[in-house]
Amino acid sequence: MAFEPTIISFLCNWCSYTGADLAGTSRIPYAPNLRTIRIMCSGRIEPTFVLKAFREGADGVLMCGCHPGDCHYHEGNYKCLRRYHLLQKYLQQMGIKKERVRLEWISASEGKQFAALANEFTETIRQLGPCKIKGVMETLT
Amino acid sequence: MEEKRIGVYICWCGSNIAKMIDVGRIAKETQKFSNVVMARDYKYMCSDPGQETLISDIKKYKLNRIVVAACSPRLHEPTFRKALEQAGMNPYLFQMANIREQDSWVHIDREYATLKALSLIKAAVSRVYHHKPLEKRSVEVNPATLIIGGGISGISAALEIANAGKQVYLVEKSDALGGITARLDLSFPFLESVRQMLKPKIQQVQAHKLIDVFLNPTFEDITGYVGNFKSKIRQNGPEKELLFGNIIVATGLQAFNPEVIPEYGYGKLPDVITSLEMEEMLMRGNVITSNGKEPENIAIIHCVGSRNSKYHPYCSRTCCSTALKYANQLRSMLPDSNIYELYADMRTFGKGCEEFYSDSSRRKILFLMFDQEEGLPNISKAPQNDSSEMIINMHEKLSGEEIEIPADMVILMTAMEAQNDAKDIARLTGISLCSNDFYIEKHPKLDPVATTTDGVYIVGTCQSPKDIVESIAQAKAAAARVLASIAVVNMEVEVTTAHVNEDVCCGCQTCIMVCPYTAIHFDEEKKVSVVNEALCKGCGTCGSTCPTGAIESRHFTDIQILSQIEGLLKSEKESI
Ligand SMILES: Cc1cc2nc3c(=O)[nH]c(=O)nc-3n(C[C@H](O)[C@H](O)[C@H](O)COP(=O)(O)OP(=O)(O)OC[C@H]3O[C@@H](n4cnc5c(N)ncnc54)[C@H](O)[C@@H]3O)c2cc1C
Ligand code: SF4
Ligand code: SF4
Ligand code: SF4
Ligand code: FES
Repeated sequence: MAFEPTIISFLCNWCSYTGADLAGTSRIPYAPNLRTIRIMCSGRIEPTFVLKAFREGADGVLMCGCHPGDCHYHEGNYKCLRRYHLLQKYLQQMGIKKERVRLEWISASEGKQFAALANEFTETIRQLGPCKIKGVMETLT
Repeated sequence: MEEKRIGVYICWCGSNIAKMIDVGRIAKETQKFSNVVMARDYKYMCSDPGQETLISDIKKYKLNRIVVAACSPRLHEPTFRKALEQAGMNPYLFQMANIREQDSWVHIDREYATLKALSLIKAAVSRVYHHKPLEKRSVEVNPATLIIGGGISGISAALEIANAGKQVYLVEKSDALGGITARLDLSFPFLESVRQMLKPKIQQVQAHKLIDVFLNPTFEDITGYVGNFKSKIRQNGPEKELLFGNIIVATGLQAFNPEVIPEYGYGKLPDVITSLEMEEMLMRGNVITSNGKEPENIAIIHCVGSRNSKYHPYCSRTCCSTALKYANQLRSMLPDSNIYELYADMRTFGKGCEEFYSDSSRRKILFLMFDQEEGLPNISKAPQNDSSEMIINMHEKLSGEEIEIPADMVILMTAMEAQNDAKDIARLTGISLCSNDFYIEKHPKLDPVATTTDGVYIVGTCQSPKDIVESIAQAKAAAARVLASIAVVNMEVEVTTAHVNEDVCCGCQTCIMVCPYTAIHFDEEKKVSVVNEALCKGCGTCGSTCPTGAIESRHFTDIQILSQIEGLLKSEKESI
């Protein structure tokens, strides 16, 4: 069977989750590979959440917050952005391609953009193939 | 530890969910998850019988954790939390799985959609297992209200609240009250004088003991939360501290600048004017061209900057009726003139407006249609010996012909757009903008004047283009919401705040640096950080930054999110 990636997405409640809901109310179809976790702000996304997702078998992780300047809590998204760069480095050291994790800004009115992002990111991960880290971790322990 | 007894309810939402997701199969699969005592699918979970099933199950099966898989939690989480409370449960022992907006409505393969739903439910079950009851907290609501913007919307809200005996602070950035309404002559469709309507309202505001008006003030950051906001304001004199419980944003609109549309020559041709400039002339009572003559040929062009992908995609809604208003006023003032209405579509919604349109068409006004996609009418200066000042070339859509229209005066029905500083006010008050920079309501249908920030309301044209009647209706609706919150005296607030575990905190104070609300301080005696829960808004940033894991982000704890991740990735292997 062809490879279907599993992607975990973290969406902030105020912008990105609302944007994803809007894709729904506007009935814009997109790839069914995303599995969403709602958090209040992208500033809540801990690196351990992302690592956990890969360890449990995710092939990609998508993090979305409000556009710069629009965070409901002023600057949570900037903190997320800083962490994202560190996280990418760390993942590479673990042997996970940095393209497997992505941070994007989606506003509450960007339903269309959210659907397009879901499709595009799913395709990127499909090209990268399955993430093997889960198997590696299991043989190690 | 108490035994966890989880109930899972899968909603069909009529056919909205059931059409794309095999709800029966999911209910069966879900029943197999550990700790799930009861799994049911039902036609409409949010309906009364749906909620009653939930409540009676909780009692009958001694359920102590609930999952509802249905629409977005942004819609019905409060509904189901209330049902839990009715059944005697703590409302936070509840989790929703969004299988409508983020599943059945966006996927087209029933098998994939069903598998995804199952994994979202598994995640919700794993998460809810770790939910803890949270105690409700309430705050006293300060009975004063801050209103930003002194147009007809702000004025109407202010009078409504002050007449109910509550204090209002009305802040207006210009040096007069009234907004755009003060610049209008007559109002469509009944052509009554706007001034006669507005003036007494402004006088009432100025005379009201309970309304403090601040014109052209400087204005500092708003801090606090619903019930207890705070700000500092200065209006030629010493700074004043304002305390208020609710905020109404009524900052209105601005007119689109048509200089950017080359076809219309605004700014170059002196007798091409905007609708607001027309209002000025009408208020003065004489309509004359730049060389002092009464115009013989007048053209009114609709949709200037509206409904056009180059400028604004939306309809400005009031300009069609306003254009008819001008045509009627001009017909009476200049009975021998030729009046042309160049429209793209005629949108005269609202009470009396369609009748206004059909009456106008009997008053010797020529209606000509153009298609924005095919090109705008083009205005140019007429040749020297021509009888008119300007010539308009257009493709008339109904006849299919290229025509020339003589014009001595052209009125551009300019779009209504969001204020330039809409973003600043959004940041100040914690509300969001749509892609056209209008403010976004909490729910477009069910909650049109509230915003996602509790205690902040939006009214009038800052929310979207609308006429005076609609603006006043919104203003009064928001006033009613504010008065209701004041009447409650104590208001429940969000309890999903951060909390520091003193035993684990090492005193590094990183959390204090990252908190955007200075809600954390350092206890010098105990050498630990402490969260002021009244100030904390629960963003979770401190929780993800604390190096020792001392901070618990209530209802978004590490274990809750980690088990949700586990659930998302386990369902498929475990049960299918
Ligand atoms: C040319 C024209 C003709 C129209 N004709 C009609 C008509 O005939 N009938 C009809 O029903 N409707 C008509 N309308 C629509 C009508 O003008 C609006 O519905 C109405 O003005 C909306 O009132 P408002 O209070 O929401 O906004 P506004 O009138 O725009 O008032 C907003 C106020 O807020 C102030 N403000 C803005 N930003 C800030 C800030 N940051 N801080 C403090 N204060 C701020 C502004 O200075 C202004 O005083 C017309 C509109 C136009 C443009
Ligand atoms: S109200 Fe009429 S003139 Fe104004 S944008 Fe809409 S269609 Fe165009
Ligand atoms: S970041 Fe954590 S350990 Fe450091 S002071 Fe704050 S709560 Fe304590
Ligand atoms: S959750 Fe956010 S607002 Fe609350 S204390 Fe932490 S950083 Fe501050
Ligand atoms: S609330 Fe969306 S990123 Fe902070």
